[in-house]
Amino acid sequence: MSLEEKKQSVIDDFSAYDEWLDKYEYLIELGKSLEPYPEEKKTDDKLIKGCQSRVWLDAEVRDGRLWFVADSDAIITKGIISMLIDVYNGEKAEDIEKDDFSFVEAIGLKDNLSPTRANGLVAMIAKIKEISRLRLTPSLEMTKEEVAPEKKNNDVLTAEDVKELQPLYDNVVLALKQVYDPEIPVNIYDLGLIYELNINKKREVNILMTFTAPNCPMADEVMAEVKESVSSVPGVKGCKIDLTFEPVWDRSMLSDEARLELGLDYDPEEDEANES
Amino acid sequence: MTPEELRRQFPILGREVYGRPLVYLDNAATSQRPGAVVDCWNEMTSVRNANIHRAVHRLAVDATDAYENARDAVREYLNAAEREEIVFTSGTTASINLVASSFGEAFIGEGDEIIVSVAEHHSNIVPWQLLAGRKNAVIKVLDIDENGALAVDSLEKLISQRTKIVAITHVSNVLGLVNPVKEIVAVCHSHGVPVLVDGAQGIVHTKVDVQELGCDFYAFSGHKIFAATGVGVLYGRRKWLDAMPPYMGGGEMIDHVSFAGTTFAPLPEKFEAGTQNIASVPTLVPALELAKLCLSDPELVAAEKAVFEFVFEALASDPKVKLYGVPRGTEKVPLFSFTVEGVHHEDLALVLDKMGVAVRSGQMCAEPLMDRCGVTGMLRASFAPYNTMQEAECFIASLHKAIGMLL
Repeated sequence: MSLEEKKQSVIDDFSAYDEWLDKYEYLIELGKSLEPYPEEKKTDDKLIKGCQSRVWLDAEVRDGRLWFVADSDAIITKGIISMLIDVYNGEKAEDIEKDDFSFVEAIGLKDNLSPTRANGLVAMIAKIKEISRLRLTPSLEMTKEEVAPEKKNNDVLTAEDVKELQPLYDNVVLALKQVYDPEIPVNIYDLGLIYELNINKKREVNILMTFTAPNCPMADEVMAEVKESVSSVPGVKGCKIDLTFEPVWDRSMLSDEARLELGLDYDPEEDEANES
Repeated sequence: MTPEELRRQFPILGREVYGRPLVYLDNAATSQRPGAVVDCWNEMTSVRNANIHRAVHRLAVDATDAYENARDAVREYLNAAEREEIVFTSGTTASINLVASSFGEAFIGEGDEIIVSVAEHHSNIVPWQLLAGRKNAVIKVLDIDENGALAVDSLEKLISQRTKIVAITHVSNVLGLVNPVKEIVAVCHSHGVPVLVDGAQGIVHTKVDVQELGCDFYAFSGHKIFAATGVGVLYGRRKWLDAMPPYMGGGEMIDHVSFAGTTFAPLPEKFEAGTQNIASVPTLVPALELAKLCLSDPELVAAEKAVFEFVFEALASDPKVKLYGVPRGTEKVPLFSFTVEGVHHEDLALVLDKMGVAVRSGQMCAEPLMDRCGVTGMLRASFAPYNTMQEAECFIASLHKAIGMLL
């Protein structure tokens, strides 16, 4: 479903009920069915200010698209945030950032909330936009840490260089996430196949990567795909890929996103043991 | 008079919300206004409007008469010794700020102590904190017990040589318990400490006699007791008001002004700088008349008692409901704050609203009390004499339905 279709679907769902009490019941059900939010992420930086009830909101990037998680201590607020993130989940940061959120007006939610709740709604929308904006241009702190290996190439980058190269770096990561392992439904970046990613001042990309198994029959195709995907990023002047099997790839190199995707943290035996 | 008959005097109570009859149970925030109050305000604005105390023309005389009549009516209602002890303000908050600022200026210095209770509205905490900040004074807090009753026994120990004033609420806007003001005043006065009473809720539910209570200051708002908004009262004993410097400077409050020095008007004008709320102050007259009727008419009193008992019983007997402010005897007014296990107070208020029931949710301007009770907020249903048994039943039924939806 496109973003516009998802919005229309919410508007349709809402207008199916004549009475506001029924619309609230719908929101309550949405709130109850919201996916659980990790307790450890209930931190102040994820908390939305401006709400009387508390709301936590976080997002991660998968395949170049934003996926939100949220929670609230009040169920109607939870229903509202659930409705919002259902619409924006899986959209690109730039699309969310420039969206006008006018469908919220269309369902009349703002007029039918108490003023404190309406403020909360405004704050929720602002937070969704803020998160999207931050995913467009990550902070300098992240940059330093991630681009650090670059220094080994005697091509020392100044803080200004790092800042300037950051958007390019992010776009290269997005490009890498477009390439999938032929056998596992997870992109090569989140699989942890990229051991090193450097961009020098000349905007040439150097990648050191591996495969899940040394005898991977698709290796050549995948490497060609990586090169093509990275080279097509605007601003990239060249792309060199080196292959290594040192260290040998194992499951610990999966990103959290990938673990979740593959359901690797779920151990049915352990679960059963806990229940009994 | 029955509550049904009383209701007819309040035009707003006939309206509907979301296609359902309005059940207004947020009276502790503000009461509704009877036709007599609306008419009075209308008349003051459309027939008798002029600035008071100044001009000699007929309109000014009319307006001044209405304004000063209201002072007499308030004096009589509170049984104050003198009409000069009644100062008009914009509300309870303004009255308390006046005392904190002006009494504080004259009598509170570095290291002095101010005692407030943990169950105070922010309006009876923050003005004292501001004063304490300016003067390097200290705020001490009187606690409540697990049922919400003030720990009056510990007041004696809390008072020291440095205690300059005790500021306490007559009835907490959250707990709804009538505090033993007479007893508190007796303890404080035995140490020579004056007492300010926040009467915002107390004036609505109890017959207030300031001489009998013995308090030094009593503050209340008009809008919670049927009068127009933006008008309030500060009762203060003459001995204190005389000794306190003016709060705000301006017109009306002066006797003679020159750049060599200014002398101030006598009480009560000394504390009424600037143009007063001339349209609203006179509405206190019909408002207090009605309040008096509500507290004395046997039928209304009996009806309110029946409503109280029904709601109290319904809430207290529900294992999911935790009620804050549990009375030992008959000291509770029909104001019920509670939480429901597993349900957020704001969700309840929102759903109840859609059922036509207006209640309050949140911290109710009493964050320290919320912390003391270990909650982030509560739901509050506060009744007025015009609330019928039918409405009380509707509230309880709607509450159960709302809890069912949310759980």
